[in-house]
Amino acid sequence: MAQLKPRVFLAGARLVWRQQRALWIIYAANLLLAIAGTRGSLWRMGKILNHSVAADRLVHGFDLAAYSELRLHPSMPFEASRQETMFCVFLFVIFMLFATGGLLRTYYEDRPMHAGTFFEACGENFWRLCRLAIYFVIALVPIGILASVAGVEFGRIDRRSISSYSSFYFLAVAIVLLAAMALSARLWFDMAELLAVSEGQENMWRALKSAAKLLRGNFFRLFWVYLRISLVGWIGFWLGLHFWMEHVRPEATAQSLLVSQALIVFWLATRLWQRASGALWLRQYEPQLNVAATSAPEPPIPAEAARLEPASS
Amino acid sequence: MRRFKFTAPIMLGMMALAGSAGADPRDDTTVAAQSMRQALSRRVVAYQIDAKLDVAKKTITASETLTYHNLTGQPQQTFPFHLYLNGFQPHSTFTTEANGGVPEEDADPARLGSIIIERIAVAGMGDVTDRMQFTHPDDDNAADRTVMQITLPRPVPAGADVQFTMTFTDKLPRVVARTGYIRDFFIIGQWFPKVGVWWKGAWNCHQFHANTEFFADFGTYDVKLMLPQDEIVGATGGLVTATNNPDGTKTLVFRADDVHDFAWTASPSFRLIEDSWRGSAGTVNIHLLVSPGNMSSAQRFLDSTKGGLRLFDEWIGPYPYDNLTVVDPPHGGLAAGGMEYPTLFTADTFWYVPKGLLLPELTVVHEFAHQYFYGMVGTNEFEEAWLDEGITSYMEAKVMNELYGKGTSIFKFPFMTLGETDDHRVGLLSAGYWHWTDTDPLTRLGWRFYSESSYADVTYGKTNQVLTTLETIIGEETVRRALHTYFLRYRFTHPTGEDFLKTIEDVSGRDLRWYFNQAVYGTNLLDYEILDAHSDLLPVADKAKKDSREGATIYRTFVTVHRKGDFIFPEDVKITFSDKSSVMEHWDGQDRWIRYQYDRPAELVSAEIDPGSQVTLDLNFYNNSYAVNEDHRAIHKLTNIWTFIAEWVGQLLAWLT
Repeated sequence: MAQLKPRVFLAGARLVWRQQRALWIIYAANLLLAIAGTRGSLWRMGKILNHSVAADRLVHGFDLAAYSELRLHPSMPFEASRQETMFCVFLFVIFMLFATGGLLRTYYEDRPMHAGTFFEACGENFWRLCRLAIYFVIALVPIGILASVAGVEFGRIDRRSISSYSSFYFLAVAIVLLAAMALSARLWFDMAELLAVSEGQENMWRALKSAAKLLRGNFFRLFWVYLRISLVGWIGFWLGLHFWMEHVRPEATAQSLLVSQALIVFWLATRLWQRASGALWLRQYEPQLNVAATSAPEPPIPAEAARLEPASS
Repeated sequence: MRRFKFTAPIMLGMMALAGSAGADPRDDTTVAAQSMRQALSRRVVAYQIDAKLDVAKKTITASETLTYHNLTGQPQQTFPFHLYLNGFQPHSTFTTEANGGVPEEDADPARLGSIIIERIAVAGMGDVTDRMQFTHPDDDNAADRTVMQITLPRPVPAGADVQFTMTFTDKLPRVVARTGYIRDFFIIGQWFPKVGVWWKGAWNCHQFHANTEFFADFGTYDVKLMLPQDEIVGATGGLVTATNNPDGTKTLVFRADDVHDFAWTASPSFRLIEDSWRGSAGTVNIHLLVSPGNMSSAQRFLDSTKGGLRLFDEWIGPYPYDNLTVVDPPHGGLAAGGMEYPTLFTADTFWYVPKGLLLPELTVVHEFAHQYFYGMVGTNEFEEAWLDEGITSYMEAKVMNELYGKGTSIFKFPFMTLGETDDHRVGLLSAGYWHWTDTDPLTRLGWRFYSESSYADVTYGKTNQVLTTLETIIGEETVRRALHTYFLRYRFTHPTGEDFLKTIEDVSGRDLRWYFNQAVYGTNLLDYEILDAHSDLLPVADKAKKDSREGATIYRTFVTVHRKGDFIFPEDVKITFSDKSSVMEHWDGQDRWIRYQYDRPAELVSAEIDPGSQVTLDLNFYNNSYAVNEDHRAIHKLTNIWTFIAEWVGQLLAWLT
């Protein structure tokens, strides 16, 4: 059993900080693609708003009616806007698939990488990670089925129970359990990705099996690390959102921009923190795996093989 | 005064035991005589109904005695009756229309409802059960059984009474379209055979449609309900007696005068909260029935009910009844929520509603407003739905704005606001005012609208906008006085749309036909825009003519206002210059466009049609103004928000990688 070094939780955060170039590269891609995906809609909105006094209702406070009227304007085709944005979101997902190889190599080796090395790692691992992503989506199917069953049961309890709380409590428990299952699946696949990148594993089924073996004795420790980081992420994000909505003046565009982008960086950083923690843990665990492999006694040479072995010169 | 739920039935039970002595309170001539002297309406009908609720089977077995006073001015031999519960059958007009024009063959049996008349007799004429005929006056659906008519052996002379006695059985559906049951909750509306209205010289008794509500005569109701003792009951009118029966049931007797419907509700899970409010017509006892889990909304229900009572008392007229029952349907029963009956209405809430979301208040105020416009001013909801839904929506917005702030009367959060009037306007825009053209005027018959969405948004939302825009013509105070006059003039009668519009003209002293023909009877679209607005530096030669001051710079400013839509409406146009001066023009809006020209030593800053955006019928507020200098603050703000959302969604999906 691996002796998990204390404070891998914080060590992961320090690793993200040390290798923050990766964070900023991914953030830049996220931001640029988001701008590209919203540019069309915002340009069309600008044509309506920039010379209109009625736009004031969106500046001082946020009048939902004014915004709804804008979205209903004939020159604001909602469906086209949505498709533009979702296409760029999809491009970001592809980018992340590509960049994860370099990112994991950087965290695993914990050294700054030249662009060439970084992108070489990205290219080398891209198809492996694509396959793992597909397998991950398949792995989520049983969780999706359970979620659907929970939904049906929620409806049944809601219809039958006099109190409205019964179904709510059931839903809360179901969400917690399903989230834990999804997080566990994510942890498993993260470790498989790490093994694929660190060992150059070509066969993703083997990578998944090795990851499962790794987790067998260490699941709760790693899950606890992942869970704490997720909680930090969600709580911090919602606190930031609360601050943005309640305490930043509606007219303060620059402050809003800073706060919103800080939230995005924070959210991204927590995800990278999970990846870094996993990489750190694997690096510490692997020597013990290797020691276990090298210290095992060699099997005896069969007498027949020894007799036929040509005498060495 | 508040009391806990247990004391009311105990006290009433004690009163019943002390005072009954075998007498049926409905035979109390003293009470009846007193009621007649104080009659508020022309009591055309007197219903006496004895009903027994079977909680397990979800049925009601009942007998009804209807005394109809023939005040039609002519002998009557044929009498139509509404049988609304038959609307919840697979082939009914209601179900067919709700199902997109086709019958619902595979309807869930639990959602089916019906009313079956076993026997009907007429005093002095005997059993007339065989003379019952189902009719379908609105369409060719012979399977629809929501209208039944009886042709008597001989006519009833003008001025005479005819007494119908019927026994019937209701099968209640699982709650749909405001009636039925869910778990242990019952809401019983449109549950008894109800005679049609003699109106404008003919019987008016429409089938039950998906988009329509109801229409009936004013009268009295004496209703005896027998149901399990643990049921907590609310009903139209007031509770007269409550008696516990030896078999575990109890008998409640309710009486309601000068109403045109009787509805009731029952559940053993209700919590009853009693309160009262004193208005110009006396004390109103408020009975609030709250479902489990919704107690956090109870005070909100009470506050908004009292707010509605107070403002209607001040603005429109007195609430004359002694009782008002507010019913909170349980979770899953929202199909029963948001519905009005005389002196009883159902609200809407959830177990948790943040304070900044004024949903419970909005529903209460809307349904309370219906107590006036529908409950007392008894318009025909089939044919002129805009008169009750539209006026109610307008008053709902007025009351909500007064109680909770204009602009914040629906959402009141630091990061987002929404007001009632704007919400109705956006609803109208989204329904198709924008994307479809002119489909339906306000005056369309309820079941003939282009779609359910058009019906909802035109009768509710557009009427609200029509009255709000009317304020810019005759003033808000005059509109309010007009509604006050309309209420006092037509309460307890059945006015028409023309009666309403004429009242407005009488009170304002103005001929408003030009407006009503477009806004009420027509489908004209109102949209004015600033087509062009700019300033040019005057050449020296021209400048010499205009201003001889040495060094003076003169600008020639042009502002062109264009009428895009076909609705002709007078508009104010405010033009502002760089020296902070401004000009207010008034255009009659008749022509397609008008151009204003100014020569001034100041440039144009902005031109604005309808400053303040009071003309809420205008389709597009954004083209009502033009500011010369671009102001990017709004688009920067939206950029922040949209970019943030796109980034975050991207990262969420990237979690799959």
